[in-house]
Amino acid sequence: MTTVKWWKTLRAVPSWAYAAMLGVFLLVLPALQPGYSVTRQVQLTLILALVVSGLNLSLGYAGQLAIGQVAMYAAGAYTAGIISVAGVTDLLVQLLAAGTAALVVGIITGIPGLRLGSWSLAMTSFFLVLLVPDVVSIFEEHTGGQLGLTGIQGATLFGYQLTPTDFYLSVVVVAILWFAAFRNIIVSRHGIAFQMLKHSPVLASSVGMSVFRVKLTGYATGAIPAGLAGALFANLDLFVSLDAFGFTVATGALAASILGGSVSVYGALLGAAVVEFASSRSDSFQEYSLVFFGLFLLVGGVLLSGGVAGAVRPLVARLDRAAGLIGADRRSSGAGEGEAVHRIDGGLLEVTGVSKAFGGNRVLTGVSLRAEPGRVTALIGPNGSGKTTMLNLICGYYRRDVGEITMDGKPIKTAATHLIARLGVARTFQTPLIPRSVTVRDVVASGRYTVERASFAGAILRTPRFRAVRRRDRQRADEILGLVGLGHLAGTEAATLPLGMRRMLEVARGLAAEPKVLLLDEAASGLDEAEVETLAEVIRRIRDAGCTIILVEHNFGLVLSLADEIVVLARGSVLAVGPPSKIANDPRVRDEYLGTSDEGARPDEPVITAAGQESTS
Amino acid sequence: MTLIYAGLSLGAVYALVAIGYNIVFVASRSFNFAQAQLMTIGAFVAYTGHVTFGLPAIAVVLLAMIAVMLIASIEERIAVRPVADHQTQLITTLGFGTMLTGIAQLVWGSQPLDVPFVGAKGAITLLGGRLYTFELGLIVLAIVLVVVIHLYNRRMMSGLALVAMSQDDEAALLRGINVRKLAFAAFAVTGLLAGLMGFFIGPKTFAVATLGSALALKGFVALAIGGFGSFYGGLAGGFAVGLVEAHAARYLGSEFSNLSVFLILILVLMIRPTGLFGQLQERTV
Repeated sequence: MTTVKWWKTLRAVPSWAYAAMLGVFLLVLPALQPGYSVTRQVQLTLILALVVSGLNLSLGYAGQLAIGQVAMYAAGAYTAGIISVAGVTDLLVQLLAAGTAALVVGIITGIPGLRLGSWSLAMTSFFLVLLVPDVVSIFEEHTGGQLGLTGIQGATLFGYQLTPTDFYLSVVVVAILWFAAFRNIIVSRHGIAFQMLKHSPVLASSVGMSVFRVKLTGYATGAIPAGLAGALFANLDLFVSLDAFGFTVATGALAASILGGSVSVYGALLGAAVVEFASSRSDSFQEYSLVFFGLFLLVGGVLLSGGVAGAVRPLVARLDRAAGLIGADRRSSGAGEGEAVHRIDGGLLEVTGVSKAFGGNRVLTGVSLRAEPGRVTALIGPNGSGKTTMLNLICGYYRRDVGEITMDGKPIKTAATHLIARLGVARTFQTPLIPRSVTVRDVVASGRYTVERASFAGAILRTPRFRAVRRRDRQRADEILGLVGLGHLAGTEAATLPLGMRRMLEVARGLAAEPKVLLLDEAASGLDEAEVETLAEVIRRIRDAGCTIILVEHNFGLVLSLADEIVVLARGSVLAVGPPSKIANDPRVRDEYLGTSDEGARPDEPVITAAGQESTS
Repeated sequence: MTLIYAGLSLGAVYALVAIGYNIVFVASRSFNFAQAQLMTIGAFVAYTGHVTFGLPAIAVVLLAMIAVMLIASIEERIAVRPVADHQTQLITTLGFGTMLTGIAQLVWGSQPLDVPFVGAKGAITLLGGRLYTFELGLIVLAIVLVVVIHLYNRRMMSGLALVAMSQDDEAALLRGINVRKLAFAAFAVTGLLAGLMGFFIGPKTFAVATLGSALALKGFVALAIGGFGSFYGGLAGGFAVGLVEAHAARYLGSEFSNLSVFLILILVLMIRPTGLFGQLQERTV
């Protein structure tokens, strides 16, 4: 029992406090007179950790393998070195200039690299490393070319010449500030946004995120610490040469990231410490360094997919459970009170004469439907009749061949998915898309990504506006979770919930987006009776609040009890339209859909699932 | 004309890298970052066979092919098969490639080694330009390989199976195609070819451990220009990169050759991200 108690005390302290303690320790270290080699080692480790944490941001969080971090490091170092030679020695100015230079390199290479998925960015950024020597020798008169850049003067701060100890402290302070900023990004909604994007670009765009913008933000922001590291490095030895920015260093940084855990904030420190320590220890390590770095990448990639930080996390969770810090109650508690649903201004969605073919396979032919505010419009039909395709056309995942879709009379062009989401179209998926290691509350709050905007800089600085938005995010999420009966699970990791709850969670996320139109794609399949009842109740409340709901569903009983209007699709065309009473008695519908006369199998049309997307992009 | 030959033969080297990428890509939709390193090892083995053992050319080719095939098989087992997603495969294959570079440095040193070719390294005159026999060999090899692979994919059952796998490996599995075995075979074949390619590129590029990363990148540019999965595209892309590089080095200076290739890459990605022969796939939910 004592270990449990001990663990409880340890966990009562927030995790950033340990990092803060390390920071304080490094700040008071000079007072202990540890000697030159130790302080130098600490400085080099922190500089490498800055480079690595930028890599974590783009690789671990934004999900983009970018090996060119070293090129941005070089850009920062040369920028700082050159302006120092020119007489600008103030460290703050140098950091600003170096950070900006790295950011510019990041943006310029990120834009083309990000257009074609992961390999292109890996390669364009890797190519940068190859270009460093060429660019340096083109500007030889400024950079010193192969011989290295000499003549850098000691750093100053507001005109005051920094001693080696002062400079050491500056390095520690820069590292502390960056890691604090990094941590603030990761725990904010932008951190959640990165996780969603990494899990599924389809999901990210469905809540209104511009996939390209978010990726670019992650990658370009990751360049900033590399630039800062470069400025510090140039001022550490007052000498910059090409040796520090080669292929070996690039792989070393990547190895440190993988080793410490790419999806972590402080893992970068650990990984950098190991790599830096190993490089300094043995002379023979230099010779074997590539073999070791390669091995790190290989073993790290295969075994510890989350690095050391990833290996520690399950252990923490296990201890938490033992200490009773995580609730074990997994039951759904039924629909909660109704006041959580505010008045919603539903939108009138009209689809007119829409057709879609995949190659020669005609999936939809001249389909029209009309979904009105405050009504549930159900879309039913046998497998492959084009129901999900219809939803995907409305959301903009597919381009329609002909036809028109309007919202409140205004045409929705074949715009980008995230723009359509921003018009007020929210949806759920046949296979729930729930990112890993995100809590239930954060999943719901993520639906509010475009309801209220909160800037990146605001998240770093924790501005009052950011705090206000965050408070409302949580408040709304908790209200909606109460409505769908998941309120008691708000702090649980969402991906571990059973299927029924994950479906309900997707409905909650859709509702959090305050949509004009809510599209539910087979929201009830795989749910037990009690869950179906809760879902029906929730849908009724959302409808009564004024939202337009389009429901794709196979559960005929549920559709009859819930829908105000039913559209029956068969073989890509509308077979019948009308209220439930009419549809239930329509002989053609009974024939086609309920299978009263079994006419045998039809050729199957492609079954399009959300799960398929994960592997293709 | 001499400059064009130089560009074409250099381009053939990149086209060969692109062929290696494409075989693995078509078979398993993954990207083998270590492809160029495999070829570099092939060049080193060719050097050892020629110079250290003094073997005849045919024995050297076989030795290089078998050695690299073994290494590629090991790679498939330890760096590709245990890893499910393609993103992580990028990291593990990069790790494997880095290890190969490191090992090559330990075994063969870091000085460039001059790999001999069949017979003497003589220059011949062709259509008003001069080129070395091994350069002609490279160009011919690249073209012949692409044609053979293309015909193979169209005519042979296993070639069709490979193409089927690249479209949808689950569907291929249901049709009774042994997806794992074929993916492994694709790696082994890439290794076999990389050994052969190493034998041909060694005389042109010299055997040097650091060759891998530059080759990997230029091969990728060839692929990006030509379009992923397109063998003819990779060939055209390779030649384009080689010609650009040779001309930039000649007229602008050697420090501009990489830069101009990079510029081409950026332009292609901005203007035609699917490459010249690539196809656009519609997104699916």
